[in-house]
Amino acid sequence: MEIKLSVDFDAYEDGVKLAPLIEELAQDAEKSQALTSLIIGDWGAAYEESAQEFLPTLIAASSHFPNLRKLFIGDMSYEECEVSWINQTNLGPLLAAYPQLESFIIKGSTDLALEPLEHARLQELTIICGGLPSTVLQSILKAKLPELRKLELYLGVDNYGFDGDLERDILPFLYENPFLKLTSLGLKDSELQDEIAIAAANAPVLQQLEELDLSEGTLTDKGGEALLNSEAVRSLKHLNLNYHYMSDSLVLKWRSSGVNVTLDDQQDLDDEWRYPSLTE
Amino acid sequence: MALSVTDGVMRSYTILFGNPGNKRTTGWQQALQYHGQPAAMEVPYIRLLQAIRAGDRLIDLLESLIRRQDNRRLIQAGASFPSMNKHSVAGNEKAAESGHPVSLEDNEWSNHRMHMDNIAEKQVLTANLRSGPLTLRLDAPGENIAVERGLIALGADDAEGWTNDDLLPLPDHTQGSSIAAALARRLEPYHGRVLYPAQWFRGWCRLLSWLRAEVQRDLPCGRWMNDPVEAALMFDKRRCSNWLDQAGVNVPNALAPSVEEIPSSYDSLRQLMEQQKIHRVFVKLFCGSGASGVIAYQYHPRTGAEIASTTVGIEQWNGETIIYNSGRLRRYTDHGTIRRIIDWVGQEGMHVERWISKDMLDGKAYDIRQLVCGGQAGHAVVRLSRTPITNLHLRNERMLLEQTGLSAAIRENIQATALAGLAAFPGSFCAGMDVLVPAGGGMPLIADVNPFGDLLYYVQHQEMGAYEWELARWLERK
Repeated sequence: MEIKLSVDFDAYEDGVKLAPLIEELAQDAEKSQALTSLIIGDWGAAYEESAQEFLPTLIAASSHFPNLRKLFIGDMSYEECEVSWINQTNLGPLLAAYPQLESFIIKGSTDLALEPLEHARLQELTIICGGLPSTVLQSILKAKLPELRKLELYLGVDNYGFDGDLERDILPFLYENPFLKLTSLGLKDSELQDEIAIAAANAPVLQQLEELDLSEGTLTDKGGEALLNSEAVRSLKHLNLNYHYMSDSLVLKWRSSGVNVTLDDQQDLDDEWRYPSLTE
Repeated sequence: MALSVTDGVMRSYTILFGNPGNKRTTGWQQALQYHGQPAAMEVPYIRLLQAIRAGDRLIDLLESLIRRQDNRRLIQAGASFPSMNKHSVAGNEKAAESGHPVSLEDNEWSNHRMHMDNIAEKQVLTANLRSGPLTLRLDAPGENIAVERGLIALGADDAEGWTNDDLLPLPDHTQGSSIAAALARRLEPYHGRVLYPAQWFRGWCRLLSWLRAEVQRDLPCGRWMNDPVEAALMFDKRRCSNWLDQAGVNVPNALAPSVEEIPSSYDSLRQLMEQQKIHRVFVKLFCGSGASGVIAYQYHPRTGAEIASTTVGIEQWNGETIIYNSGRLRRYTDHGTIRRIIDWVGQEGMHVERWISKDMLDGKAYDIRQLVCGGQAGHAVVRLSRTPITNLHLRNERMLLEQTGLSAAIRENIQATALAGLAAFPGSFCAGMDVLVPAGGGMPLIADVNPFGDLLYYVQHQEMGAYEWELARWLERK
């Protein structure tokens, strides 16, 4: 059973808080046992209040949710809160409190930390944000996640928190992959998308990947051609290049390449400003 | 005899006030043909503006248009009418865009309009002007430079002719930048530039007022599909929001408690937002259509960071500040630019309402353009966007309501809300309601009322295009 808890603007104004909603769910014997997926949406003025508001409560409630496998912290649309304005916190202790968790999704990167990042069963880690700080990238690079299958990182732009260095914080995911069971890797929504694509085209990590996701960024023909010319890319089961700045002629080449590639949402090539998709 | 009956279908004559040759007038003529009705007599807005300025009467203009058509007919005896695709409104759009078959010989008439097949029919029309039944249909005045100039000139302080402001919904609060009538008539078209919107609106309301008075005087049998009074009311977003609210229709809360307290600048907007502890709003140019002059504005209550998403662009050119509508959504975070844009909207007249978080489909926010006519909900188009502004021409996606997977209850609520919105305008037969569904459930709200919101493509209802369906409802009315 999947449950989403959130406190919208009006509820928050009326004094509703998220922590009591979590406690209520924990006390409901039937629902708490059946719960396999928990989505935390807006915790009430997430642009102002950090996830620390409810985190101790969620950690304390862990024994009530023995079957929880999926957890999403911060599932808010831009209609509710700008992604770059979502105040996160250190979510490491939360992961530690749920050793049976398999999937962990985070939205928002302001003040986000993941320390310690060790988990024996986690298979999927996704961070959706407008700019991922290098501290978080380093935490992930050093993480102990032996079961990780899928890693999806929105890298974003410096205006919204990305302060990483290509060599130090991004390329190790391609060249020194720390996750032996990884089959799906997303390094996306980046203004360095061409550089990442060029590096990815011949990266050792492709040997073990089924899916590579370089979507939502400012990928142009430069990065696109490097991928198209790579033998290793051809062995992928799926290549995701949605939202891109590649030319029509390269798109045509992709279509006849035999690669299982998605190329939706071509951007306006004449536009003098080029942005990744999620850059608030 | 005032009306004729063919095959049991009542034939009703129509006067169509519009810009001839555009997709709206062409589409309406096709709808009339589809239902076996006589073609409408098209009365160009530009001729109305000329008549107002010259102090002429509407009835004289109509009769001269009929005479003129008759003369042309003698000259062009034997001319054949272009064949028209009966069914597709979609076809219309393509035709209008490609310029085919809308070939205009003098920008007023093309030979398939008002094809009175014989003198008897012409006499019937002449008789109908006086004794009915006669349908009067207002269409949009937009997308025509000459008409735009003429309306700005008519809204000028020194305008000639009919300058009655009785239909202006908020006359004391419709004072934007101004330009003299003679200069307005010589305005250089500049693509996308927004010219004197408040003065334009004043001119538009004067034209509506004149039309309505002339009809009352000389065409007592004419029946407006949409009463010009209400078209003016719908157009003023400040007044329209208040009107719907008073009628008990669900709308996003306006921030200003009264007209007097509507902000006229960036500073007064911020003051109002801070007083009410609301930091996300929609600021709308009070008389804009589509996304024109709409700004999704928010500030961060702690850091002070600001974001304004809008199609409004601003540039300095020869020392002058130029405000224009760029075709795409821009996202401003720079305080100075945001301030200048909001100040401009404030100067022309703004409506401010709470930003209601919209429900999402496939990770995109959506709203619904719901056509409502004569107490029935018809065509609906769902507009999806990755941005706060869903208007279709901003390259957003669209969907049909039945493709959305929304529950029957939500769909019914959308229709009920749109119908309640139209019911607040008893003199209006038809309108396009922009309905939004709030995130987290709750009753839908009306975000905008579009008196000319019936131009909808690629969607059928009861196997008819929007205009055909609208006309069917009109012909069957009691």
